[in-house]
Parts: sequence; C-alpha cells; structure tokens
Amino acid sequence: MTEELQNALELRHVTRSFGDFTLRDVNLTLPSGCILGLIGENGAGKSTTIRLIMNTLRRDSGQIQVLGRDNLSPDFRETREDVGVVLDEAYFPEVLTAAQVAKVMANTYRRWDSLLFARYLQQFSLPSGKMFRDFSRGMKMKLAIAVALSHQPRLLILDEATSGLDPIVRDDILDIFLEFTRDPAHSILISSHILSDLEKICDYVAFLHQGSLLFCEEKDRLLETYGVVTCGPAQLAGLPKDAVVRVERSGYGVRALVRREKLPAAIQAERASMEDIILFLVKGEAAQ
Amino acid sequence: MKGLLIKDLYVLLKQMRIFLLMVVVFAIIPGSSMTTFAVIYAAMMPYTALAYDERSRWGELAGMMPYSTREIVLSKYVLGWLFTGGAAVIALAAGLVEARMGLRGCSPRMAILSLCIGVIMMAITLPPMFRFGVEKGRMLFILVMVVAALSSVSLVNALDQVVETRALMSVLGLCLPVAAVVLSAVSVLLSVRFYTVQNH
Repeated sequence: MTEELQNALELRHVTRSFGDFTLRDVNLTLPSGCILGLIGENGAGKSTTIRLIMNTLRRDSGQIQVLGRDNLSPDFRETREDVGVVLDEAYFPEVLTAAQVAKVMANTYRRWDSLLFARYLQQFSLPSGKMFRDFSRGMKMKLAIAVALSHQPRLLILDEATSGLDPIVRDDILDIFLEFTRDPAHSILISSHILSDLEKICDYVAFLHQGSLLFCEEKDRLLETYGVVTCGPAQLAGLPKDAVVRVERSGYGVRALVRREKLPAAIQAERASMEDIILFLVKGEAAQ
Repeated sequence: MKGLLIKDLYVLLKQMRIFLLMVVVFAIIPGSSMTTFAVIYAAMMPYTALAYDERSRWGELAGMMPYSTREIVLSKYVLGWLFTGGAAVIALAAGLVEARMGLRGCSPRMAILSLCIGVIMMAITLPPMFRFGVEKGRMLFILVMVVAALSSVSLVNALDQVVETRALMSVLGLCLPVAAVVLSAVSVLLSVRFYTVQNH
C-alpha cells in the first residue's frame, strides 16, 4: 500500500484523564483525501483530542497514528512538517508582523513556500507590516490559516479555525479547504461549533460528548439514516420502537429523530440536518 | 531552533535598542563592576522573551511545530548566551579602547568572569521560570540576586582576610567557568523536564 492510501489519522482506544474530566476510549479514523469534522460542546474534549494527536499532551492509554506514524515515535517530529495546525487562537507573539512571521516559519518548516504565503496574504487582504496585536480576530485567524497552508502540509488540523470570521470570508476559506483535499494525499481534521460549515465540507463527522465519542460516521450516511418526524403523542406511540431514536416534546406536539429505514412507508420524515441530529442526541429524551 | 531564535530576536527588537544603549553606557564607564551590570542586564533578556511567549501562549503553537521540547527550552538559553556574550565582547572592546586612553576599563579576565556570572545567573533562575511561569519566576530571580549579592560580598570580604586579591581572582577565574558550564548543563536538563511536566 502506498503512503497516499494510508489513513491520515487513526486513534484507537485513546484515553486521557485530568481528574475532573476524562476523554475516554476515543476511536477515530480519517482516511486520506477526506475531511473529518469533530463536533462537540465546549469542554467535550475536542481540543484535548487535537493536543493528544499532536502529542503535546500525553495520553494515558491507546494508540495514535498520524500519517502512518505513531505519534510517540522519535521520528514524529518529521511528521509535524506535514501537519498544518490552526488552534482556536492564533498564538503568534503580538509584536510580530506577518512578514516577520513568514521569516520565522521559513526557518521552521523545510518546505515553507514564501510565494504561496504572499499569495494568501493578498487573498485574505492581510497587511504584511502591521503588528499582530493590531489585527482583528478574523485577521488573526486568517494569518494562522495562511501559515498552516504555506508549508505544504498533507494534513490540516483546525481547531475552531473558522470562528470569528465573517460568513463571506468563512465561505472562501471553506472553499480553500475543499480545494486542499482535491489531492487524495491531503486530509483535514476540523473542529467547529458552526455545524453548517461542517455539513458543507465534511466527508466524516465525529461527535464528542462529555469526553466520549458518540459516533464517527460518514456524513452522507448519517444524513440518509436519520430523519425528523413531527407529530402528536398518539402518532408517536404508533411508530415502531426501533425507529425512534430521540424525542423532543413541546406544547405544540412532538418532534422525533427517527431511523428512516425503520419507518413505515406511510410516514414521511423530513430531512434531518447535522444540527438536528446533534441537538436531538444531546438534548432529546430517549425513546420510551 | 533558528526559527525560534529569530522569533525571539523580533520580539526583543525594541528592547534590543535599549539593551545596546545600556550595554554601551555600562561598558564605557570605567570600572570593572559596570561590566558585570551590563552582562547581568543581558542575561535578563530570555525572561522578557519568555514573558512574551507566555502572554501570547506561543508555547502551545510551538508544540505543534517540528521542534522538540529540548529545542524550545534550549533556544532561551542560547538567546541568553548570545546576549551575555555580546555584552561581554562590547565591554571588552570598550575596555581595550579605555586602556589605550590610559583609563582602567574592563580586562579580558573581568569580561570572562562577568560572562560566567551572567551564565550562572541564567542557569539558576531559568528552571523556575519554566516551572512556575515568568511572574513567579521573577520573584525567585530577585530573591536569588539579593542572596547572591549579599553572600558574595561576605565571601569576598572573608576571603580577603586570608587570600590576596590576585590569588582570589585566579581561583575565581578557574572556578567560575567550570561552575558556569556544569550548572548550565544541569539547568537545561531541569528546564526541559519542568517544561515537559508543565505542558503535558
């Protein structure tokens, strides 16, 4: 098997405990050429997972392979050359300018592409001589994204990278991410609160809730599997028990997350968005 | 590591101008103690770089880059050694000019001893900075400086009773470089350990 066909990421039974919080038994696979969206509420363990992947946080147990290499291997430093990371904040020293950041990165990454970086600065309308502390949050994130893309990575790891960006810029950046994964050797792990972004670009979706992975599924399969039925309590009681996954009751009736294939042909289910599925799983009642 | 050093130099660009001015002023004032002041001031530059890193949480980003923990830690020592070395060289150059003018400036031995003091100071104070952060580390730095100043004055006074100044300088000339090398080696190992504990 060639390296391009390997999984970009593989997490097996990864656990890390902090005392008051435990990320437990996480299993994730990101095939090469794909985008995996990591969803979860604040404190669900998304950033912890990313830190574990990059081995800036030691795991208690489990195995992590990044681009085919164990992240505890002494050679993992080489793998970092191939991974572009954007964290939830940009974390560049505030007195640096974009031009200075470029010089630092040119002496950090072997494959740093100055011309590509200059092109991104132009595309994102970022001034090269302005100090980082004078950038808006959106500009800071755009600079971090430009840096992550300019050392020719094979894997992008993005932790809330699109938050703080206006919808138009966000859309442009999502297009850049989609373009990036046109190369089958390129992959992206992206965590975000903006579910519509993930729905737009992801091939796979993983959902972390209170430190546990509730699912890691192909997005299209997830959207095909689930639907939403709006009905009254009596009609709900008539639905097959194995069709109803979660229920949300209100004064106006009942909404239920259902498995489409288990529904009788006479019952029509609406399309469930990613947001519907996540909200039902977190806030909905279990079906009786 | 080159990228990390370049980053620190950019961060310290403003301070470097003041640093150069201070070092030149300290260096050209005749009298050997001024050399020591210049070098000690230079030895404090890594703390400023660390403070900037802490404020921007640069360490979290650097951890994702192709740098080992040892490189991240060592870069701060190298930065300090470059600055203290630079200060000693400037002081020495000023001393040579002063000697030509018939003034008593910094001698090569004094430059080396000052350099050793600066290096030892970094070796003692950097590990707590990596362990407890710059804020708490600075408090410890002040404490170390006060204790070192008081004890060295007492020690020199005590030794002065029994040993000649020239002999004392010879002993220090031998002991301080060895102490600087040994303490730096231990200090780097400790700092790497502290940084790993702090960040994992």
